[in-house]
Amino acid sequence: MAEHDNILEVRNLCQHFTTGRGRHRMTVKAVDDVSFDVRRAETFGLVGESGCGKTTTGRTIIRLYDPTSGTVHFGGREISGPMTAEKRRYLTDNIAMIFQDPIESLNPRMTIEEIVGEGLRMRGVKDKNELHRQVIEMLYKVGLTEEHATRYPHEFSGGQRQRVGIARAMIIRPQMIIADEPVSALDVSIQAQVINLLNDLKAEMGLTILFIAHNLSVVKYFSDRIGVMYYGKMMEVARSEDLYAKPLHPYTRALLSAIPEPNPITERHRKRIDYVPERDHDYSVEKPSMVEVEPDHFVYCSPSELREIRRQLG
Amino acid sequence: MIYEKNRPLPEELNNLSDELFAPTGSETASDEAFKTEPVGFYRDALNRLRKSKVSVASFWIIVVIILLALIVPEITGYSYTQQSVKGKNLPPKIPYLEKLGVCDGTQVLTNRKKSSLDDPKRFPEGSVVEILKEYDVNGVAVVDVRVDAYAYAGVPEGEYHWFGTDYLGRDLLTRLFRGARISLLIAFISVVTNVIIGVIYGSIAGYYGGKIDMFLTHFAEVLDGLPYIVVTILFMILFGSGMFSIILALTVTGWIGTARLTRAQFYRFKGREYVLAARTLGVPDRKLIFRHILPNTVGPLITRAMIAIPGAIFSESFLAYIGLGIKPPEPSIGTLLSVGQDVLLQYPTQTLFPAVLISVLMIAFNLFSNGLRDAMDPTRRGEDV
Repeated sequence: MAEHDNILEVRNLCQHFTTGRGRHRMTVKAVDDVSFDVRRAETFGLVGESGCGKTTTGRTIIRLYDPTSGTVHFGGREISGPMTAEKRRYLTDNIAMIFQDPIESLNPRMTIEEIVGEGLRMRGVKDKNELHRQVIEMLYKVGLTEEHATRYPHEFSGGQRQRVGIARAMIIRPQMIIADEPVSALDVSIQAQVINLLNDLKAEMGLTILFIAHNLSVVKYFSDRIGVMYYGKMMEVARSEDLYAKPLHPYTRALLSAIPEPNPITERHRKRIDYVPERDHDYSVEKPSMVEVEPDHFVYCSPSELREIRRQLG
Repeated sequence: MIYEKNRPLPEELNNLSDELFAPTGSETASDEAFKTEPVGFYRDALNRLRKSKVSVASFWIIVVIILLALIVPEITGYSYTQQSVKGKNLPPKIPYLEKLGVCDGTQVLTNRKKSSLDDPKRFPEGSVVEILKEYDVNGVAVVDVRVDAYAYAGVPEGEYHWFGTDYLGRDLLTRLFRGARISLLIAFISVVTNVIIGVIYGSIAGYYGGKIDMFLTHFAEVLDGLPYIVVTILFMILFGSGMFSIILALTVTGWIGTARLTRAQFYRFKGREYVLAARTLGVPDRKLIFRHILPNTVGPLITRAMIAIPGAIFSESFLAYIGLGIKPPEPSIGTLLSVGQDVLLQYPTQTLFPAVLISVLMIAFNLFSNGLRDAMDPTRRGEDV
């Protein structure tokens, strides 16, 4: 792995939430021992069913939650562990986040200019004209106009709001964006608009994107590499085309089999594959681990499963 | 049947030309500008408040009462402390209105010897207006007589007390509006103090949560358990009676409700995505609290503060009524009521005017705060009332 230019290195990241006390104490392992790398200027897709810990992973990386254990390095510096003002500064300067819900993620009491300009104000841009100029420039970049700056969020459509969210994240010129299901709340025609905007900005600014989504078609279109998560664990990490061409983990196969096909004739014969961990794996004897079965293709499997996979691949 | 399993695709769908799949227009085109004016939260709330007739009316009533409280004590020509031995317990007498037979400064005296009517020492000239009833008690001719109380008391001609005078001959109009001024002042100061303390306390408890929240909430609960009459009496003993003690008494537990409300609002808003988004931009806690969360809680807070004002006025009056009020001769609506009810049967107007004023004030404040609550209700945003 060392030969790649990794901008983000996540190692054995765990995020456990506990509720209750004493006898009623319960621990939810939202993210459990997850490791992956994101390379500079690539788009890394994180997919999985609802509640599998994709969002929590993203939020833990940007420290909205404090990780239970594990380390995260960004650009060679550790951004996990105890927080200092300087570390927070480094983190917030370099990583920005786009949120899922375009209605929820904009403060209803602030104008678009205040929302987009806040990141700059926090970074010491005091001059009103300069602030205004940069905000307007960013708004034009995301396809809005100067006139929109004085407006309040409730006057915008979902797609417009999401673009405001993107402008807010982009204006601080981060190296990496964590896009937490940026299109799942939008209708299909607007999804393309937002995805294309992200693609353009990525090319223009040399961004790295951690793209969290559950829509597999979108992820396939958008991502260079994809990580598949299931119940807080990473199941498979591979290049986008490899993952779709030869999924190795049974869960990945199940997930891919669920993509509807636009062709009604093949759609008719599409078979869903079920994934039942108790049936598909026997981990009572051997413990599974992340193994690189082919270059750039990692699978979470036990040694016997690995032999089976190797045999299939020939 | 819409879906047939083995029906082949229609022919025209198989031969679609590639041109049909070309993009329709430029993707970089900007969105249209809006045609309407931008409407912020407060503008929107104000617009809706204006449309509610009751709110507007009560707002003007409050304004008028506040203006009266400021102006009237200065222009009546009497000081609130100015006593008069002659003019005690005079009934109301208002110029022009007296000609209509109301508030004309007359009062009815019963069981007077008829012969004494001719005695100028007891009934000065012109004081008898009419004899209502003549009857006989044990062989003495007795009358019920309506007298001009001002002439009867020997007050100089041309002296008017619109609301009458009290047992020390002080002008009640002056005292009533001076009292309203004091009552409103106490209410505003205590409510503002309560809101400031409550907002800061509730913000900290709500934003940080966990152990800090638990400690702060339980502390407030313990404080809330103290009976407030006892606390007030303690303050009276410590600081003497006066405005300071009353404000302190109204403040010591009054902020807890605001703190609870603020805390609940913080729990509601602190997990919102826009707060998280601000956190990912590196916005410090202080700014998160005051810029992102607090403005969203302003609606319920203002409403609550407005509802608390009549409550504070009433509490103050209640304290004054049971004798824990401010130091005489300074009046408040409560002390006026308290004094007035001692002579309620003889001179009902001494109770009537303060009672009417406090009722109007409370109703106006309550209606206004109701209107404000509706106007600030986020679910009614943009709606025409």
